[in-house]
Amino acid sequence: MNMSEQLRESLSALMDDEANELEVQRLLREMAAADDLRQTWVRYHVARDALKGQSLEHRRIDLSQHVRDAIAQEKPPLASAAQRLLRPVASFAVAASVAATVVLGGQQLSQLGNTGSEQAGSVVAGMAPVGMVNTLGATPVRASYGSQAVPALRPASHTAYRELARLRLKQFGQAHAEQAALNTPQGLIPFARVPTIKQ
Amino acid sequence: MNMPLVALLVGLLLAPVVHAQADVCGDTDPQAIDWLKKMSQSAHTSAYHGVVTFQRGDDLEVMQVSHVADDRGTTETFTRLTGQGAQVLREQHASECVHPGQQLLEMGNDLAAGECGIARYYRFELGQGERIADRESVRLNVMPRDVYRYGYILQLDRETGLLLQATTMGRGNTKLERFAYADLTYGPAPQPRENVTVVHEAEHPSQDIQALPAVTFDWTVAWLPPGFTATQPTSSSDGQRSFTDGLAVFSVFIEPLDVAMTPGEGVVRWGSTTSYTRGMRAGELPVLVTIIGEVPVNTARMVTDSIRRAN
Repeated sequence: MNMSEQLRESLSALMDDEANELEVQRLLREMAAADDLRQTWVRYHVARDALKGQSLEHRRIDLSQHVRDAIAQEKPPLASAAQRLLRPVASFAVAASVAATVVLGGQQLSQLGNTGSEQAGSVVAGMAPVGMVNTLGATPVRASYGSQAVPALRPASHTAYRELARLRLKQFGQAHAEQAALNTPQGLIPFARVPTIKQ
Repeated sequence: MNMPLVALLVGLLLAPVVHAQADVCGDTDPQAIDWLKKMSQSAHTSAYHGVVTFQRGDDLEVMQVSHVADDRGTTETFTRLTGQGAQVLREQHASECVHPGQQLLEMGNDLAAGECGIARYYRFELGQGERIADRESVRLNVMPRDVYRYGYILQLDRETGLLLQATTMGRGNTKLERFAYADLTYGPAPQPRENVTVVHEAEHPSQDIQALPAVTFDWTVAWLPPGFTATQPTSSSDGQRSFTDGLAVFSVFIEPLDVAMTPGEGVVRWGSTTSYTRGMRAGELPVLVTIIGEVPVNTARMVTDSIRRAN
């Protein structure tokens, strides 16, 4: 893989909510182009959740059974399934929805219910030890009611943008509180929302 | 704050057809509107000080606030008693200076004349209040009529109308945040606090504050949730524009980027505050838009959808 060590470190920091703004912006630019960066992202998430295996157990969904059922139902030869998975679009779509499941920390997992086995065709070989089932079609963000469709989201950049939203709240929170303190009937109390008040 | 602005705002509020408005807010108790006005006025005219708690999730902050009025105007202080030793001051705020949020609460709500004003966007109901900070209170339930804003349960001092407790309610009756007076005294200011390390002077429009880098292109927000109007900017850079409906405020920040980012969006929410960020293009220009405010995510999303580059 020809991704720089630096980018990989930034990616790791981002997952731990420790990326600074420069890293977040650089990651977003690079992810637009780099396929291997996205794959690394998925692998990090899988590895991390495998390490935190206990956090999945309490959900009381026997995911490994779903996976076994799905594989049992998947009659077409594995070779062609794998080949399908290797094509950039398909692999990304699968990786996307798996990562989406992980990034959300399992909210989508609890909605699996009976639909897990319907996703038979998209089980990702090699994910079985972690017991994750692909929830193809689940999106991390609710559809917008607005006139424009929400831009097609890639989960890695969704997390990066969430991090940016968090950084911006720290950076602009006080500027917003100034306006709230002038236009709401609470006096200066809106400043209580500002994490660190600056001179 | 200045007469042309007041006239313009009142004009905008009166513009819709009167009889159509009366139907929309026909369920409003006129006494509830009276309490709303009383609440707004007491915040600006009474002299009081006390200790306030602010709760979001498991987080509890405590602060001391004070408000005094004299012939030079009002002076307010806000001092954190937990965490950061910070204080915010607003001194000699002219009493005739009425900002857009206050105008929306106090004007244009003449139900008898068929003007709904803010009652067009919220349903107001009175109820029995609790005892708060050793004061008897009146409860004012504020329920949004649309999905673009949150609801509130307000408890006002039965004697003065001062807002003693405010709980912001989200979808499905979830409590997002609450602030409440724990101790309250009407009268002169308290003793100043000692352990204050940061003192910030609250900003006011017409001061020359350069908080953000200058934005050199023209941008417009083509859609606002009904009832929201622009506030007077405190920043001179045009990188921030804020909007209020009298109870809620949100601010739109725009940052031009030199290099485009993968388009996308992200949200964090804490208490009733939403911070929404989107990388997008305004015309040809790559920009980062952030909306911070006490409004639901969808409001932020739809406002961002409507941001355009002008000319």
